[in-house]
Amino acid sequence: MSEYILKIKNLTKVYRDRKQEKLAVNDISLSVRRGSFFGLLGPNGAGKSTTIHCITGIAQPTSGTITIDGVDVVKDYKLARTKVGLSPQEFNVNIFNTTEQLMDYMGGYYGIKKAARKAKIDQLVERFDLTEHRQVVFQRLSGGLKRRAILGRALIHTPDLLILDEPTAGVDVEQRHDLWGYLRELNEMGKTIILTSHYLEEIQALCDDIAIINRGQIVAHGTKAEFMKDGKSVEEAYLEITRAANNNSAV
Amino acid sequence: MNWIGLYTLIRREVERTFAVVIQTLVAPLISATLYLFIFGVVIGSRIEDFAGVPFISFVFPGVLLLSIINASFASASSGLYFMRFSRAIEELLIAPLSYFEMLIGFVGSAVARALIVGTLILGVGVLFGAVTLVDPFGFFFYVTAIAAIFAMLGIIVALWAEDFEQLQVLNTFVITPLTYLGGIFYSITFLPELAATITRANPFFYFADGIRSSMIGYSEADTAVGLVIILGLVVGLGVLVTELFRRGWKIRG
Repeated sequence: MSEYILKIKNLTKVYRDRKQEKLAVNDISLSVRRGSFFGLLGPNGAGKSTTIHCITGIAQPTSGTITIDGVDVVKDYKLARTKVGLSPQEFNVNIFNTTEQLMDYMGGYYGIKKAARKAKIDQLVERFDLTEHRQVVFQRLSGGLKRRAILGRALIHTPDLLILDEPTAGVDVEQRHDLWGYLRELNEMGKTIILTSHYLEEIQALCDDIAIINRGQIVAHGTKAEFMKDGKSVEEAYLEITRAANNNSAV
Repeated sequence: MNWIGLYTLIRREVERTFAVVIQTLVAPLISATLYLFIFGVVIGSRIEDFAGVPFISFVFPGVLLLSIINASFASASSGLYFMRFSRAIEELLIAPLSYFEMLIGFVGSAVARALIVGTLILGVGVLFGAVTLVDPFGFFFYVTAIAAIFAMLGIIVALWAEDFEQLQVLNTFVITPLTYLGGIFYSITFLPELAATITRANPFFYFADGIRSSMIGYSEADTAVGLVIILGLVVGLGVLVTELFRRGWKIRG
């Protein structure tokens, strides 16, 4: 078994429409250690979500390769998709579905049998304190409950790799700390987690490894300890690196 | 084949159908009842038997076809467009479903709704004494194949449309006129020669004729031509929609 669960090699993604082309990700390479808690940072529009979309199948890479557990996400996409779960930045759900339906349909799409699906939903609903909200339609849930429901949906097929794109956006402080507890527990259970967040204290509190993406390119990649050398916080290191990268591209 | 995934796609649509029964089941039932009452009872009672059957039995396959087309097209177009609009389509893009399975899932969902609506309308037809079925297998084939064709047209429109108004364009400007001009409520023998010839170039004429021939045993079209058109559309649209899903046209990235 490889040390790395995710390997990205020379990934480029260009969005095209009739009028223009946009280079969203430019030749990035990145590896994520199995069992790690990995922070993917970058300003808005840097290419974080595009990279995640290419990993999960929401977008197709223009060039380059991505493998999850050695499985190519384009050539063997059906198998690759069973290995990854996604909690997206924007709620990509039918807002008229209940919490249970969200998880049930998703489990069905993953080919999980009814009895196993029900058992997993019971477990997830209990773990994420959603029992009272199991039959409540998504649009009536609070922001924190919506995030938990989406997280439950991402875990329905027990993926090895969990990708969380801004999972605490719009969540109050108390619920954010509750979510951190869930995520730490999942990581301790062996799940590899990739987390993007604009809350850098969240990255500092949770992640072991960090990469910074800026204008479609990886500008820094290392362990949290490497980022925090000389007593800097992750936020200070992040600002230093992204400002330097912006100045270099301006020159 | 991800059978459970496919079943889930179809189950989700059937559950959606029953969640909004007024829109999906009651409305077509009322329309069909009114058509049968007006064309079959009010007007039909003053018309002699046609093609060896009462006029209501001649008209009924057209009423059924109209309902099946609307149910199937609406199911696929509104279902997929709403998924695009709400981004719930991403649930499918990240799931282990092949592009062909996505095709079968969306088409199967729409055909399921069309069959539910069709069964209810057959029930109404029985109450009116309008239903005869000389070829049940042929009937099932035509109903299913025609529902599949309009499901795939619904998918294409749902992918193409940028707003809810565009969603209605094909239905308003193509499907509805061609359906009504395809001989669903009349025989082309009622038409002048030129109009009859033009009608023979309308694929909807073969859809109506296929269902009618399987129900009352009377046909005005060349069955072989009809089968080629119907099977050609099923295969051609199937290939096109699978390719659109593979490319992720308007849904991926």
